[in-house]
Amino acid sequence: MIAVEGLELRLGGFTLRIDRLVIERGEYLVLLGPSGVGKTLLVLSIAGLMRPQRGRILIDGVDATRLPPERRGVALVPQSYALFPHMSVRDNIAYGLRLRGVPERERRERVRRIAELLGIAHLLDRRPSTLSGGEQQRVALARALVVKPRLLLLDEPLSSLDPASRANALQLLKKLHGELGFTALHVTHSLAEALYLADKVAYMEGGVLRCVCTPRGFLETRYARPYLEEHRLVEEALREDGG
Amino acid sequence: MSPVERVEASLVLLYAASSLLVLFLLIPLVSLYLRLSPEAMARVFGSPVLASQVRDALATSLAASVASTLLLLVLGVPLAYVLARREFPGKGLVEAVVDLPFVMPHAVAGIMLLTAYGSRGLLGPLLQRAGLRIEDSFLGVVAVMAFVSAPLLVDTVKAGIASIDPMVEAVARTLGAGPVRAFLDVTLPMAWRHVAAGALLAWARGLSEVGALLVVAYYPKTLNILILEYLQVYGLPYAVAVSAAYAALAAAVFIALRRLLPP
Repeated sequence: MIAVEGLELRLGGFTLRIDRLVIERGEYLVLLGPSGVGKTLLVLSIAGLMRPQRGRILIDGVDATRLPPERRGVALVPQSYALFPHMSVRDNIAYGLRLRGVPERERRERVRRIAELLGIAHLLDRRPSTLSGGEQQRVALARALVVKPRLLLLDEPLSSLDPASRANALQLLKKLHGELGFTALHVTHSLAEALYLADKVAYMEGGVLRCVCTPRGFLETRYARPYLEEHRLVEEALREDGG
Repeated sequence: MSPVERVEASLVLLYAASSLLVLFLLIPLVSLYLRLSPEAMARVFGSPVLASQVRDALATSLAASVASTLLLLVLGVPLAYVLARREFPGKGLVEAVVDLPFVMPHAVAGIMLLTAYGSRGLLGPLLQRAGLRIEDSFLGVVAVMAFVSAPLLVDTVKAGIASIDPMVEAVARTLGAGPVRAFLDVTLPMAWRHVAAGALLAWARGLSEVGALLVVAYYPKTLNILILEYLQVYGLPYAVAVSAAYAALAAAVFIALRRLLPP
């Protein structure tokens, strides 16, 4: 279980304040909210890449607030994927295992298994720069998942994909979560991603969590209105086209 | 004049201006080799005394410039990393201090080094207690070269590190790498072209220094100082003979640099 309690992080004139956020083991939480409200700051704080001024971050019951990123057991898939360009896909995926001292034979086997699961086994000897956006995204996911993290942090992982790749990636994420049962915090602007993937939806505004609820419950809050408005416009356009 | 003709006329001006500058830079190199007298070459490199002077001076120049570059790599790469990645109070001031040698006239840089680290300088007594002396010593040559070339290394490496997505390092950290490991595994390999280019620029800059050396460490003589001495004592043909050999070395560095510099 991941718990964020009384977290306060001030950066310039902005303050991130999270009274309480809990992600149960195996739960997929999608964090929605407009740009610049502190979603990424929250992700970076949980990863240990930003140091909050106040509050606690508990990871599986251990107070991780002061722990460095390498000792938290969380894995991150950032928006840019941040693949290591000087390493092959295989070495990218194996990197975390190598740091954990996993023997080479086991390492190769685990890399092969995760690569097959994500459909990238044929790319293992390639360099990241030769991959498409969708392929890079799957490599970043494999690299994060292969270390079996306590929490998978996904910061807008689908935002730079074209619609077809996004739809594929959504299905893949759902399938992976079903099979591996990892705990995830997924930041996005997309209501579709939230509704399709989330066990729970959190909504943030002005550095504060406004609600944490089920996907269906979220649709009934006023925070869902701007997202639904976009869908209404699509429906309206379709109706006009049909009429 | 039609618009097309106007564009063509301005292109002619553009090419004329560009060619003038290229020629201005190229002609001295060509003329150096045109003035090269085989007789003076034979006198310099055929004389055991003069040839050994050139050999010793070249050895000093190369050894000191390599030592100063290694010193700068050890101290300058971490500094470049801090400046590229961290925000802290007074960062602008630190950056200004790093770039200071860029704007300092060379003789002034020499005087500054003397007043700081010379035997009668601010830290002179302390250095002397440790058995270190910069006046007329190899250490002084290294110190001068490091001082004048530090901005080149630090700024080039800083630009390289700043151009790398910080998230790449952040991901390495979350995957289990400590800060040093993440730097060595990820940042350094990604910035290696900038590190190599910075080191080569710093080395070439150190090699070319003369003004501050005249003030701090005339001895052991570097090749630049020897060329000046030959010019004053034996005249232009002797200076040209040594300069031509040195220019060939500098050109070789330049070609290596062009190949290594990031596109």
